[in-house]
Amino acid sequence: MSTNGTGPTIVLDGEKVAYNPGETVYEAATRHGKDIPTLCYDPRLEPFGGCRLCVVEVEGARAPVASCTAQCRAGMEVRTRSARVEVHRRTLMEMLVSENREVDVDELTSLASQEMTELVDRYEARTGRFRGRQSGASRPDDPNPFIMRDYDNCISCYRCVRVCAEQEGDYAISVKGRGFDTQITVEFDGHLKESACTFCGQCVQTCPTGALGDLKALAYRDVAGETKKTRTVCPYCGVGCAVDLLTRGNTLIGVQPAMDGPANKGALCVKGQFAFDFVQHPDRLAHPLVRGEDGELHQAGWDEALDRAAEGFLRVRERYGRHAVYGVASGRAPHEAAYTMQKFIRGGFGTNHIDNCSRA
Amino acid sequence: MTDQEILARWKEEPAPLLPVLHAFHARDGYLSEDAIRTVSKGLRIPLADLYGTITFYHHFARVPGGLDCPRVCTGPVCLQEGALDILADLAPEGATGMPCSGRCDDPVPVIRGHLTLAGRSAADLTARPAPLPPPARDGDRECVFRTIREPGHATLAGYRRGGGYEGLARVVQELTPAQVVESIDRSGLAGRGGAGFPTGRKWRAVAEANGTPKSIVCNADEGEPGCFKDRALMDYDPHAVIEGMIASGYATGAHRGFIYLRYEYPETEHILAEAIREAEEAGILGPSVMDSGFAFDLHIRRGAGAYICGEETSLLNSMEGKHPFPRNRPPFPVTHGFENLPTVVNNVETLASVPHILALGAEWYAGLGMNGHAGTKVISLSGDILRPGNYEVPMGFPLERLLYDWAGGPFDGRTIQAVTMAGLSGGFLAGDDLFVTLDEPAIRARKSFLGAGGIMVFDDSRDMVEVAHAAMEFFAHESCGKCFPCRIGTQRLTERLAGEAGPDSLVAWVDEVADIGYTMKETSACGLGTAAPLITESLMRYFPEAVSRHVTAHGPLPMAGRG
Repeated sequence: MSTNGTGPTIVLDGEKVAYNPGETVYEAATRHGKDIPTLCYDPRLEPFGGCRLCVVEVEGARAPVASCTAQCRAGMEVRTRSARVEVHRRTLMEMLVSENREVDVDELTSLASQEMTELVDRYEARTGRFRGRQSGASRPDDPNPFIMRDYDNCISCYRCVRVCAEQEGDYAISVKGRGFDTQITVEFDGHLKESACTFCGQCVQTCPTGALGDLKALAYRDVAGETKKTRTVCPYCGVGCAVDLLTRGNTLIGVQPAMDGPANKGALCVKGQFAFDFVQHPDRLAHPLVRGEDGELHQAGWDEALDRAAEGFLRVRERYGRHAVYGVASGRAPHEAAYTMQKFIRGGFGTNHIDNCSRA
Repeated sequence: MTDQEILARWKEEPAPLLPVLHAFHARDGYLSEDAIRTVSKGLRIPLADLYGTITFYHHFARVPGGLDCPRVCTGPVCLQEGALDILADLAPEGATGMPCSGRCDDPVPVIRGHLTLAGRSAADLTARPAPLPPPARDGDRECVFRTIREPGHATLAGYRRGGGYEGLARVVQELTPAQVVESIDRSGLAGRGGAGFPTGRKWRAVAEANGTPKSIVCNADEGEPGCFKDRALMDYDPHAVIEGMIASGYATGAHRGFIYLRYEYPETEHILAEAIREAEEAGILGPSVMDSGFAFDLHIRRGAGAYICGEETSLLNSMEGKHPFPRNRPPFPVTHGFENLPTVVNNVETLASVPHILALGAEWYAGLGMNGHAGTKVISLSGDILRPGNYEVPMGFPLERLLYDWAGGPFDGRTIQAVTMAGLSGGFLAGDDLFVTLDEPAIRARKSFLGAGGIMVFDDSRDMVEVAHAAMEFFAHESCGKCFPCRIGTQRLTERLAGEAGPDSLVAWVDEVADIGYTMKETSACGLGTAAPLITESLMRYFPEAVSRHVTAHGPLPMAGRG
């Protein structure tokens, strides 16, 4: 976008900037580098207008307006960080602190879990003002192994409810009651397993307070070291969801969806999100095994094992022809292995009988 | 009726969810898990969504027998008329409280099943019609109450005796839709539900909007505590509402209308249904309104107990079967209303004014007001006043005259300490501000607003902090939970007015309450959150000593803040 073209413009903190027709004030401001606080906003979802932290002053408007739901109008004069809106933001953050059990949650809780903490710090909102009853009731009774439901830390932004409906299409979670007694729930207040939940984990990853947590990752919270993120593509199926693998040292401690993944935009399924136990599973083979005369598998060296395998493959090909070999690569293997596998079957045997279990 | 019969009855109707839920609720006496699963499947609404939405409403019982348990009004006036004693006396029958149910002129209402009883003690609860408006004091200047006191006026025959439907006949036979809009515009009629938006402009916007079918929605979700005017209009003049809706439909090109009626008026639903049946039989509603070729159908949709559904976009979501959060605006209902199509949402009183304007002319209506204000306003007056009731006053009428000349003033030996405005939403007026005139500019100049026109009177025997606490508890109970400032703010203000939490130093207490109020007023997403802090604001303005006594009366609190 340029500001000297013929496109429509708004005045953003005194500077004339261009906007795209249909763009909200929040979108345009963010695109122009403004850091407007928000807690109910997720760029993938319909603007909700719940947290009111993104209020900005608009010239001529009686009261501040929520920038996430207000559309740009030509000539609109917007102030994103005036003293007036900053006062409201601080009060709102103090109110949020007052309704939750804690502000500081482990970074492994979820991708967005530090959003509230960061804003609490930015607005120095740990003042202890507005104290009173706390909202939300945690569900430690839910036995599911994937999703922590710690609603004592919920701020009712409904990002979980909305991502489940708008992104995942499951409509598994909803809002019970109203006002301060609002509670995130599933039908008849049951456990997730008995609900329409598919454990895709999107609710967890968009939760800005740690009220919903990734239990698989949190199980590794005591592993020492810096958390490193490595971008890769989930191997479980053909969609190609981009993920960030979280590691500390040589330990894989979690998976987070990539919000900028072109195929998934932050979405994952239960396998891509939670099924990584096998990587570090003690039952995993650590060396080749070769079946001996006694019919049992015995530990062997790589040369011996590969010779035995090659011998068997060659025998089959000689006797039955090249199409008698069928390769199935595992969805739990890395992509490099899958690539090598198809080279091996196509190039090595000259057959197109190659598949991947992820296609099923 | 079987499950499938209920679903079949409503499935093809517009806005089917509420009637389906009410049918199961009435049949079983509560909403069972099986019923909810059946409805979810039958109407293709996700189960979790449906469950959550049902829990939003106060009056859907979820345990067997719940519908028959008495619900006792604990609104501001009823609290002072023995509501808590009645509640205690009926506790063995499973009685629970309910927010103001709109009978402040004849307290205390108790809803049992589909019946409203009223009385000042559990022993003398009787089923009786809600009161007719008191006799006119300035009859020449009435509009909606002009003919309402005539006996039998609620029937079609009675309504016609008073000239009813003559205006509509002229409209559909002689006027173009644009002429109708023009006439309403010229009358100066503005929304009588509280927002005061010019009715003619609203109708014109819908008439000009693209998209069909268009709808006329009558907002009869009179949930504001201290307001009971729409109840009187519908009970005693249902055909005026119907006539107004048909005219609105004709003017805007809408062929379907809905009356969204609050749950707490079960008798009114029967009166409206009977009036609609009569109008259909007489060819006033249906495929050809009064042989004009213009088609108009009218449906009643009964709410289930949620104040926020009086907010027009919540109301539309409720009708559509969605979670009744308010929508973000713009777009407005005139272009994106019911089912995202152009929709007029008008209050009962607004629509009931229309037939009179059609019959007597725009200039007549405009001339009813005083000091340059157009028309009239019905004031629901209740509380510590000799003659409570619905009074139709010219816009701009002095409050003092209404209180003392018309309604008889306070009880013997008492003085009026404060009144509420806009039911509760306008907070309190007291002291010299009681000499205000009843029109929006005058009342807004005193940091309040007229709104839907409910005025509750509190005499000098009342503890205003307690009154304010009950008021804020109502807002907290009714806050929908969508936006943070209202959801948390109403709760925190309630706790502070109750003396349950908050600083024990006066300066810090006032600071907290003022800061919460300021942010609620400026950032809340709808009128509930922006209006609720008027209670604390006006309390601190008029009654600083009472506030001071309240804060310093108790020692340190279990949840006291620092400072």
